[in-house]
Amino acid sequence: MTVQEPVIVIDNLHKSYGKVQAVKGISMRVEQGEIFGFLGPNGAGKTTTIRCMLDVIRPTSGTLRVLGLDAQRDKMALHQRIGYLPGDVRLPGQMTGKQVINYFSRLQGREPVLLDDLVARFDVELKRQLKGYSKGMRQKIGVVLAFMCDPDVLILDEPTSGLDPLLQRTFNEFLLQEQARGKTIFMSSHIMSDVEKVCQRVAVIRKGEIVTIEEVEKLRQKAGQRVTVEFGDAVSPDDLSRIPGVSMVTSHNHAYHFNVGGSMDALIKALSRHEVLRLQAEEAPLEEVFLKFYENPQVETTTTGTR
Amino acid sequence: MAATSISKNIAAPKKRARGLIITRVSFLNAKTLLGAGAFYILFIALVIGFLYPTLSGINFSSYLTSNAVAGLVGAKLKNVSSFSSLIGVELYSSIYALLWGGIIAFMAGAALPATFENGTLDLALARPISRTRYFLELWLSAVLGAIFLSLAATLSIWLATLFVKNADIDWSWLAIAELIELALMFLASGIGMFFGSFMNASRAAGGAAFGIIALAYLMNTFGTLSDKLSWMLKIEPLYYTQGIQALSEHSITGWYPAVLVVAGLVCGIAGLVIFNRRDLPTT
Repeated sequence: MTVQEPVIVIDNLHKSYGKVQAVKGISMRVEQGEIFGFLGPNGAGKTTTIRCMLDVIRPTSGTLRVLGLDAQRDKMALHQRIGYLPGDVRLPGQMTGKQVINYFSRLQGREPVLLDDLVARFDVELKRQLKGYSKGMRQKIGVVLAFMCDPDVLILDEPTSGLDPLLQRTFNEFLLQEQARGKTIFMSSHIMSDVEKVCQRVAVIRKGEIVTIEEVEKLRQKAGQRVTVEFGDAVSPDDLSRIPGVSMVTSHNHAYHFNVGGSMDALIKALSRHEVLRLQAEEAPLEEVFLKFYENPQVETTTTGTR
Repeated sequence: MAATSISKNIAAPKKRARGLIITRVSFLNAKTLLGAGAFYILFIALVIGFLYPTLSGINFSSYLTSNAVAGLVGAKLKNVSSFSSLIGVELYSSIYALLWGGIIAFMAGAALPATFENGTLDLALARPISRTRYFLELWLSAVLGAIFLSLAATLSIWLATLFVKNADIDWSWLAIAELIELALMFLASGIGMFFGSFMNASRAAGGAAFGIIALAYLMNTFGTLSDKLSWMLKIEPLYYTQGIQALSEHSITGWYPAVLVVAGLVCGIAGLVIFNRRDLPTT
């Protein structure tokens, strides 16, 4: 593997099931030490892409390389260095957590060097049979299975699904620590707030096609500010909509709410002509941006982050 | 963010001995099925042992030498009052093939789909385990199940001989009978692995494999009943399974077991090819 080659390279990946095209020619790159978010609504093709990366299903066409190795041809060498967390962690009910961990670490062929830390950090129950486990408890075992052998690349399919908010925070902190240790993490989700806390870049997939690949910070800038203004005099929504950068104007209880993209200068100058009783500005939730992508792929088709 | 111990001085993972871990887990998953099979083998052997003094006085000749009964047990016996004949009828006839061959067919058929269902297949194949190895280890677990049942049969008969007077068991022919039945169970395992390679529901795949053994039993029965249906015999496996003849009559056709083994290999290898080529399901 050359030094410059990204850790994950997906080129023109297609996957069809009969006449149904689940993935339609997607391409992306993930760099060493990056936490990369793969966002999309249910059925968009996230899990299909991930399962192609693991050679559990075979692409119809296109190439997939991870750590410089072909995902199909070199899978044995590649899988020694990968940790995987499936979207729906299901485990054999008759086994205990300890037995499952022992089974998969033996399949990995490596000692689970991070096991003690992971068990303590996520408070994992190991002695009971798994049939009594809740979804969250199974998810914690899944996290342990993915990370315990200290892999170089983590492929996580909706990793925080089923975790309570406290554990989600612990998990996010853990991801950032693993990133600091040089690990590359590819994680899918359909919830923006899950990935915006940890990811540097995100790809949005919709109906099997990449809608955008963007740095989270740039998306944040695009989302702009969410502004609430309460006026002492009469102002119409049309007056506000005409201000450059202002969009999504709504009103509620004498207050106007709207988004402002880019500079606030025009807004401030316009507001100065009115009596302003209250003014509040905060970062607009990225969720809104992504809902637009989910609903309408024509909103943005930039791929500035593909590198 | 607070740094913790894991961000410092992580030892590189050492290699870990794998052994036949997939085989072991699959074998243990089938312990109830195999345990039930072994229990009934033991039960039948002991019941025959206990009843033998009475059974040996009954004239079974007209019954066991009839076409109908020969069709049911899969062989026409000459000496029907000996202990080895009675044990042969109960444990090494076509019924043995149907029940215990069926257990192995079901076990092998369910082995792969059960790992789709319990979610371990994706997790296992995301590790450095090839599909071929995964498949072969599961197949091996079914073959070990067959060996377990075979050993259970031998042990059960030995226990019965402890209290049966004049038990005329020839141990070398019993070993040959066991090997013949093992060849049939190997075929059953191959049939099971074949169905499991493309079906996603464990009970359906196991049931389909068992169904093939049951169909073979019916063909064997009808084929023995009439000369016009004798063509059925040569295309079903029980015709080539002469465990009862080996134990009771001390005679076999040497190449018959090879037919079973080759057919089992063909089924299993076909399953392996399918499993290697297919997309694996998510549920």
